[in-house]
Order: sequence, then structure tokens, then C-alpha cells
Amino acid sequence: MPISILTYIFCAPLLAALALVVVPRNYRVIIRFIALLGTFVSMVLAIKMFCQFVPGHDGFQFEQQIPWVNSLGISYHVGVDGLNVGLILMGAIVAFAAACCSWEIQTREKEFYILLLIMSGGILGAFASLDLFFFYALHEFALVPTFIMIGIWGRGERKNYATFQITIYLSIGALIALIGLIALYLQSGANTFDIPKIIEHVKANPIATNAQNFIFPLLLFGFGILVSLWPFHSWAPLGYGSAPAPTAMIHAGILKKFGLYGLTRIALPLMPQAAHHWMTILAWLCLGNILYVGWVAMRQRDLNLLIGNSSVAHMGFIFLGIASLNLIGITGAVFIMVAHGFLAALTFGLSGYIYQKTGTLEMSELGGLCRKLRFIGTALLMAAMAGCGLPGFANFVGEVSVFFASWTVFPVVTILAVWGALVIGGIYMTRAVRKILHGPLPEKYANVADATNVWRKLPYALLLASLFVFGCFPKLLTNQITPDATKIVSMTTLITAKPNMVAVSEIQSPKSENRN
Amino acid sequence: MKHELFPWLILFLPIFAAATITLFTLRSRCCSAFLSIGAIVAGFILSILFIHANGIHFAGEISKTWLSIGNLQIDFGLKLDALSMMMLLIVTGVGGAIHIYSVGYMHEDAGFSRFFAKLSLFTFSMLGIVLANNFIEMFIFWELVGVSSYLLIGFWFEKPSAGDAAKKAFIVNRLGDFGFLLGILMIWGILGSLNFAALQNSITANPVALGTAATIAGLLIFCGAVGKSAQFPLHVWLPDAMEGPTPVSALIHAATMVAAGVYMLCRIFFLLNADALHVIAYIGGFTALLAALIAVQQNDIKRIIAYSTLSQLGYMVMAVGLNGPTAAMFHLTTHAFFKALLFLAAGSVIIGMHHEQDIWHMGNLRKKMPITFWTFLIGALALSGIPPFAGFYSKDSILAQCLEQKNYLLFGVAIFIAGLTAFYTFRLFFVVFTGKEKTDHAKHAHESPLVMTLPLVVLAVFAAVGGFIGITNNYGSQFVADHETLSVAQQFLEPLHTPVPMLIGIGVALIGIFIAFSLYKNATSDPLPAKLGGLATAMKNKFYFDELYEATFVRAHDFIAAVMDWIDRWLLEGFSIGLVRGGTDLTGRALRLLQTGNLQTYAFLFVLGMAVVLWLVLK
Amino acid sequence: MHVGLEHYLTVSFLLFALGLLGVIMRRNLIVIYMSLELMLNAANLALVAFSRFNDKLDGQVLVFFIITVAAAEVSVGLALIVALYRRRQSAHVEDLTSMKL
Repeated sequence: MPISILTYIFCAPLLAALALVVVPRNYRVIIRFIALLGTFVSMVLAIKMFCQFVPGHDGFQFEQQIPWVNSLGISYHVGVDGLNVGLILMGAIVAFAAACCSWEIQTREKEFYILLLIMSGGILGAFASLDLFFFYALHEFALVPTFIMIGIWGRGERKNYATFQITIYLSIGALIALIGLIALYLQSGANTFDIPKIIEHVKANPIATNAQNFIFPLLLFGFGILVSLWPFHSWAPLGYGSAPAPTAMIHAGILKKFGLYGLTRIALPLMPQAAHHWMTILAWLCLGNILYVGWVAMRQRDLNLLIGNSSVAHMGFIFLGIASLNLIGITGAVFIMVAHGFLAALTFGLSGYIYQKTGTLEMSELGGLCRKLRFIGTALLMAAMAGCGLPGFANFVGEVSVFFASWTVFPVVTILAVWGALVIGGIYMTRAVRKILHGPLPEKYANVADATNVWRKLPYALLLASLFVFGCFPKLLTNQITPDATKIVSMTTLITAKPNMVAVSEIQSPKSENRN
Repeated sequence: MKHELFPWLILFLPIFAAATITLFTLRSRCCSAFLSIGAIVAGFILSILFIHANGIHFAGEISKTWLSIGNLQIDFGLKLDALSMMMLLIVTGVGGAIHIYSVGYMHEDAGFSRFFAKLSLFTFSMLGIVLANNFIEMFIFWELVGVSSYLLIGFWFEKPSAGDAAKKAFIVNRLGDFGFLLGILMIWGILGSLNFAALQNSITANPVALGTAATIAGLLIFCGAVGKSAQFPLHVWLPDAMEGPTPVSALIHAATMVAAGVYMLCRIFFLLNADALHVIAYIGGFTALLAALIAVQQNDIKRIIAYSTLSQLGYMVMAVGLNGPTAAMFHLTTHAFFKALLFLAAGSVIIGMHHEQDIWHMGNLRKKMPITFWTFLIGALALSGIPPFAGFYSKDSILAQCLEQKNYLLFGVAIFIAGLTAFYTFRLFFVVFTGKEKTDHAKHAHESPLVMTLPLVVLAVFAAVGGFIGITNNYGSQFVADHETLSVAQQFLEPLHTPVPMLIGIGVALIGIFIAFSLYKNATSDPLPAKLGGLATAMKNKFYFDELYEATFVRAHDFIAAVMDWIDRWLLEGFSIGLVRGGTDLTGRALRLLQTGNLQTYAFLFVLGMAVVLWLVLK
Repeated sequence: MHVGLEHYLTVSFLLFALGLLGVIMRRNLIVIYMSLELMLNAANLALVAFSRFNDKLDGQVLVFFIITVAAAEVSVGLALIVALYRRRQSAHVEDLTSMKL
């Protein structure tokens, strides 16, 4: 089988990371160039892949499968369908933008770029993987650099606390999800880690109801912690507040979508009954994200904490879309995943620029920056507007679809969520704009310089353009998502399951046969 | 449909201009102004050509799929009928005049190009509302006009008051949009469609299709209009919006955007049932009364006109609620002419007075600014409803509508407002243009340049003759099946068919003007507060609505936010996480005691462990 | 007297126990190190004995590996001890408890 374009997409950053290892640390320009090249190649290939993708094609595209551990059924298997094609495109673009924004890093650049490339390559690989093992392992591979980066290049007094908190939270989340995935592997009885095969197998032999009820919450909360589901969200604002901008961009933009992707790709189709059972609870929990965290965001005085909280609030809409368990909702949820990736990266990138130039993100100390920072200020204004759901930006399309979807299932939750989206979002975003960009310019910022260089503008322009393109022409993305979202939804429409859990001895026997 | 391309061009030319200005011509003032004005004037010409080719009573739709997920179908379409085509003419026509005026008004501003870019963005959004053929498309442009208004109010963002006003306008509008979106969701949930034509068909086929939800859905949709058209209780943003440049006040906060609410109500008129209409009528009437009362005691030239706009918008909404969309649209059209005219004339005064806005610092500008004076007078007469000016005809049709619906309470209110309107308009007029100069600025005032006065004259012509040039004919076909086309002479004499409202209307207007004349002819300070006492203070302070909202809505949100933040900080982060962390810490401390640091102890324990394992295995 | 496998194993066990005792009881690092070597050689003896009595060469091969690795280990270990001694002026385990918090 020829090497899939997906392999190139996620290996390009990893290869660049390898190449960086041998570059001496004082060759700063070359280090930077290699990092940019790696992510740029991956971005161009991702765009090419996105354009070549045929919506509604049966099965996966750009597939590649190499058997690895036959006895356990682990193989290297990559492929895309409507659910992850947008995510990979978004991931590659955000990774390139983050590499562009890394000029703010002044110390230990080599290590920083290596970690950054590992993060981007790992998570792109996780999105492309169709094998549970690689899916999980590559995500962990991408996750660990986050902790190191916050610990070493982070900012602010609470840096260490934030590092500990994000490490513990995310490790626990990943661990719970791992338990769920292993239990799923054992209970599915398919003896393979290959996701399409498990799905095929489960279609014929549904997982027992009580097994579903045991595994689903593990996956829901395990992945939920990774996505900052309320009330497990407090790592996110603090972590992002302390992280260097590129790390926050990649983590909030791409890594955070992993849990959501896992929920839609794995948990929903494999465990439909438990999903139906848990979705009402999820819908109410997501109000915690939208309303509660929205209110918390209103109180923040630090721009990064505000953006971090708002990013947590946005996760609520995705959860709401998933919770409504219908075609519009799932499509809308996937759409917001992509849109929010661009948006989160954009806002963190911009706040990084402002921090770099002014040395503070305390909003009461800033003001009137629109006068000096024409480009950055305009971009921040647009990002704030996109953040409170302005049409024309991609978030609006996703949010509105989610509202349409959930209206038929959870009307009360929808009403409150709309309040959160339109009013609370509007309040904290316009307050932030008022405090940072409007009003008189403090004396000390009279010499703040705007981004004039093309390289400085490029990442922001790229992300804004992506938001615009998908916001004005949502069909580009929805057409690709819808056919595969239909499959997910059709699997969640209930199939009668066997009443009892498969006994562990039963599953182990065929495996030992294999080994002999 | 002939010239199918034209509507697309009309819609997209302004956004093209806005994008080009932002990306390329920010440095060239000349190019920017040319692009922006060119786009809107071209839109005006194309609109005329299109209407000429297809006729005003043409009805058609061009539609492309924008988003399609399962049974959620959202089109991007253009709805072309009498209603939208008339609005096209108003937006591009009045808007064009204001664009040209802006060249003079913004002449000295450093953000000249930026201003035109934003103005074009606004024009695009407004045309989008006008042409939208479904709810979501309308909502999209609804939000976009909201944001362009936000940008333009905050145009002088360095002034803290401008930043605050922009923020306030945005948030208050969002409150209205909250209801609007819920209404859209509700209607989609029941009828399964978002397209206006499809909805109208299903409502015509089955008038009770919405069932018990009809009233709630109608009122939720109306919430959108309450926000955008600044109706009570969301009226508070509009007066503050006067922080923006005057052309913006004229274009957005008088002629077009605030009228979008009324337009939207007329567009979806078929969805509103009798109960909903009733509520709409009373809210409109109450807003009109409230705003007219507040206007009496304002001293800022722009704020007076702003409250007058509020009041007139209330009038239009009331007309819609009284089952008279034709009258509402008629008044909307004439109001666009004379209110834009009044704002632009006020802008001319402000420029002439070197950015002074307090009317008690002006006086006797009649001689110094003759063109402004005469055009302002025409606008004021039209606003007060003096025949044969445009406002007289439209106001009369609303009054007639009140009587026709036998709603005598609202008729009385409307009459009272008509009197108040004439009073505060001429209060402003006499204080500013007659009497003595009250400051040095007033003595050295000068007439504005031609680029500013020309739009005034054009608008003044329409404000004068707008009542009988066939506007009602054009709207008529939209709402009434068997309407008859009237000639100009018939229209001129139309009010005579309903002599009662006409005579009363003219009468109260004249009384209002007379009182204003006697009180303010030579006044140097306001004599009213002494006579009205507490009421005047209340009027002056806008009946304390800002304070009320500050104390309720804002406080409530801030309070909840504080509580949530406290929970987040102390309960979630402090207590829960603290417990986990403290527990781990304690266990660690206990286990630490085992670590003696002596290598040999470890070795001994290691051997012991091995021995135990061996014993277990070999047992 | 016939010398059987059990005799070899007994010697091997005694050597191992002596070595272990040395590791646990003695205080000098060098002596501990020597005791460690003793334990390794006890294992070697057992391996050779098994190899002889099972008629398989695997055990002998393993012994060669152990000898090689032990040689490498000793060189590294002794170097470490010398370095430690230079730094601390002592090779007694009681003095080396800095791992204790």
C-alpha cells in the first residue's frame, strides 16, 4: 500500500523535530527555519488533502494500514472521513501559525521548537489514526510537551501551580479515558484496536448494556476532563494563562479537540444506549460551561484568563451539539471544533503579542491600544466578535446549528445556552475590547509597535482568513461532515443489545488461542 | 426577472468597497471616499434600473443554498418585492446622500478612510437585511448591522464615553437578538422552514399552524425589533449612540438601521396574531410617549433628535401593531427623509459651531447659516406634521389607522405625542436659530461647504414632497390585495377622506408650535423646569432608566459573576482541588518516614521482598 | 564421596548468603562491592553446576556474559566510589544519606 498523505502530514513536524536535535543551538535562524518548514509542509499537504477529499465517499480515504502487533490486533492505520478531515486541516494550519508566533521565545529556543513540533506532529497523528492504540498513544505524546513548556517558558507568578494543576488534571483525564478504552477493547470482543473493525463488529454484536453503562461514563468524563467539561475545567484558564502563547495556541486550538473527537468517533457509535442515557446529564453539564464559566469570564481582570474561560465556555456548545445526538447537532459540534481551533489559536496568539509588547495582560492597565496597534487591534476586535458568535465567522455557523439541533431535544437548555452565547459572551467580549483597545492610551504605551512585518502578520491573517472562509462558505465543511455524521447518528439510533456483560474469561480464551 | 445580476451587485458592491478600503486604500483618503460613495451610488442607480425593468409590483426570489444539514436548510437568497425594493431605494438613496455629506463632515478626521470602510460595511449589512429571504439570513445581517453600529458608535474610541456607548448599544441589541433567535428556533421547530415565502404559504394554508405558540413566537421575534428599533424597555442605547459621528447618527440611528425593526415586523407580518399585535401596539405607543416626554427636557442638539427618533419609531411600531403595516412603512420612508435631514442639518450646525452641541450655547444661526436654517425648518415642519410636508401624510395615515381600529386610547396618546413632537422640535428650532447669540462661538458660526449643504437640499425636497409622490401606492400591493393606485392629486388630498384625525393632528401640531414659540422665542435659559418641577427633572434624567438597568440587569449579572467566580476560586479550585492536593501531600509526608536514606536498609527490604515473592511462588 | 549437584548448590547458596550478609551488614562501600561480586559469583557457580548436570551449554554462555558485565560494572562502580570518596572524604554508607528528605 502506498504511503498515505496523512503519514506525511503528521510526520513532517516530527521529522523536523528530529532534524532540530542535530542543529547546534546557536544557529537560531536555521532552527526557526526548520521548524517553520516542517509545519508549513504539513499545512500545505493538509490543504491539498482537504481539497482532494471526496465528501460522502464510502469508508475512509487516504487510508494506510501496516500491521504491528498481530496478537493484540494493533496496527498502524490512518485514514480520514468527514469527522476528522476538518480537524486535520485546522490542526495543520494552527500548528504553522503557532510556529510563526514562536518568535517571542528568547530562551532555549531549540528545545522549545522541538517540543512544539512534537506537539503538533503528535496530535495530527492522533487525529489521523484509526487505531485505538495509536490514537491514544500519539495524543499522550503530544500532551506531555505541554507540561514541560508551561513549566519552563511559562509566565506569571502562578506558573508552577498551573503546571502542576494542568499535569495532574490532564493525566487523570487521560488515565480514566485509557481505562475506558481498554475496557472497551475487552468488551467489544473484536480483539482488535482497529476502530473501523470494532465498529463493524459492534454493529453485528452490540456491547452489553451494563458494560456500556460502565464504560461510557469513563470515556465521557475521561475525555471530558481533557476538554474541560464543567466542573473539571479549572485547569484550563489557569494553564492557558500561564502558558507561552504558542503552547496555548496548540493546546487550546488542537489538543483540546481530541476528547471531543474521541467522544464522537468512539463513544457515541459504540455505546448508543449508554449515550442516550447520559446525554441529558451532559446537556445540563454543558450549561455549566456556557453560563457558569461565562459568568466567571466576566470577572476576570487578566486578558488571558478571560480568553481561557471563554474557550472553556465555547466547549459547552460542542457538548450541547453532541448531547442532542442528531445529525444537525453532531455536524454543528464538529464544525465548532474546527472553528474554535482557529479562534482559540488566534486569540492566544494576539494576547501573546500584546504581552510581548506591553509586558502585562492586566486589563485595567491597558487601554486605547487600537491607536497604536492598528493591525493587532483590528484582529483582536474581530477575534472578540467571532468569540461572541458574530455571523461571518465560522463559530456562528456551528453555534447556530447546535441551537437548532438542541432546540428539538432540550428546549430549556437551549434557551439558557442562547443567553450564554449572545448576552454573556457579548458582555465579556465587549468589556475586554473596551478596556484594552478603546479609551485613552496610557503614557507608557506610547511607543508600542504594531505588527508591520509580513511574517508577524501572517499567522493572524491566516487564522482570520480561515475563520472567514468557513464562516462565509460553511458548505465547504458541512458537506464533508454531514455524510459521516449521518453514519454516527444512525449508529446511535438504538440497536438492542445483549443484556449481560461478556465474562472476562470468555474474552480471554480466543486471545490465548491466537497466541498459540 | 430581468437583470438578475443587479440585486447581487447592489448587495455586494459595498462590502467589496469596504474590503478594498481596509486592505489597500487606507492611506488614500480620496480613493476610499470614491470607492465607498461609488458603491452606494451605483447601488442606487442599479436599484432604479432594476425597478424600472421589472416594475415595482414585481415579486421574485433568487436563492442559493448556504448551509444544508439534514432538515436544516438555510438559503442565501434575495427577496425582491415592493417592500424590499422600496427599502433598497431608501437605503441607497438616503444613504448615498449621507455618504456624500460625510466627505465634508469627516474632512479633518484622521480616520477618514476607516470611517468610509465602516460605513460601507454598514450599507452592506443593511442591504442584506432588506433583501433577506429567510430568517437566518436576516439574523446574520441583523447581527452584522449591530456590529457595524458598534464600530461606528465607537469610531472615536479614544473618548471613554464613545467606547462605553458602543458597548452598551451592542449588549442591549444582543438582549433583543436573544429573543429574536429563540423566536426563529421556535418557528423552525413548529413549521420546519425558515424561508419567508414558505412560511407565509403554510400560514395562509393553515392560519392556526403555529397553534398556542403563535403569540409567544410572534413576541419573541418582536424582541429583535425591540432591540434594534430601540423600543421600550430596550430603548436606552439609542441616545447614547449619539457619541458616534453625526452622519452615522443620521444614517444608522435615524434613517435605516433603527428602522430595520419596523421593516422586519412588516416582512413577517403574516406571522403575528391578534394578541401579539396588541402587545406590539401598546409597546410602540408607550415608547413614543416616553421618548417624546424625555425629548422635551434635553439640551444636546443630537440627543433631542435622537429621542425624537425613538418617539417616531414607537409611532411606526404602534402602526404595525394596529394592523397597519402600510402606514408604518409610509412613515418609515418619510421619516428616513426628514430625520436624516434634521440630523445632517444638526451636523452642519455642530460643524459651524466648532463641535458645540449644547443648544443653550447657540442662537440666532438663521443669518449665519441660511441653507441649514431653511432645510432644518422644512425638516422640523415635516416632523411636526404640518401639511403639505411628508410627515403630515404619514402621521395622518397612522392616526387614521388608530381610529379605524377603534383604539381610542392609543389615538389619544398618538395625538398627545403629535403635539409634544411639534413642541420639542420647535423648542430646538427657536433656541438654535432665533433669539440672541448666547456664546462667542455662535457669533462666529459659518455656513458649511457645498458638499454638506447639497445633500441637505436634496433631502429637504423629499421631506417636502414625499407625502404625495406615490410611496403608499408602492407599498400598498404588499399588504392589501385590492389596493388602488392613486394619482398625485388624489394622494395630495387623501387625508381629507378622514377629516377627524387630520384636523385634530394639524390642530395639536399648531398648538405645540405656538407654545414653543411663546416660551422659547427669546429665551436664554429653559423656563420649563420652574413650571414643571419634579417632572422636568425626571424627563431630564430620562426617567432614570439607565440607573434602573444599572441597578438591576448590570448589577445582577455582575453579582452572579462574582458568586460564580467565588465558587470557582474557592470551592472548586481552593476546596476540591485543595483537598486532593492536601490529601496527596499528607500521604506523601507519612510515606516519607519509611525512607531512611540508608542504602543497606533498602537492600535488606529488597531481599526481604524477594524472599516473600519466592516463598509465594514456590510454596 | 560422590559430589552431586546439591553440593555445588549448597556452596553456591552459602556464598550467596555470605555476600548478601556482607551487603547488608558491612559499612564500607568497597567491602559491600566485594560482597556483591561474591553474590554474582555464587550465581555463576550455580549456573555452571546446572550446565554440567543438565548437559546444556546455555548456563556456561550465560556465565561468560555475567563475567563480562560484572567487569564493566565493577569499573563503573569503583569509579563512582572513588569520585564519591573524593567529594565526601568517606566511603561509609552511614555518611551517604543525602537521598533522605
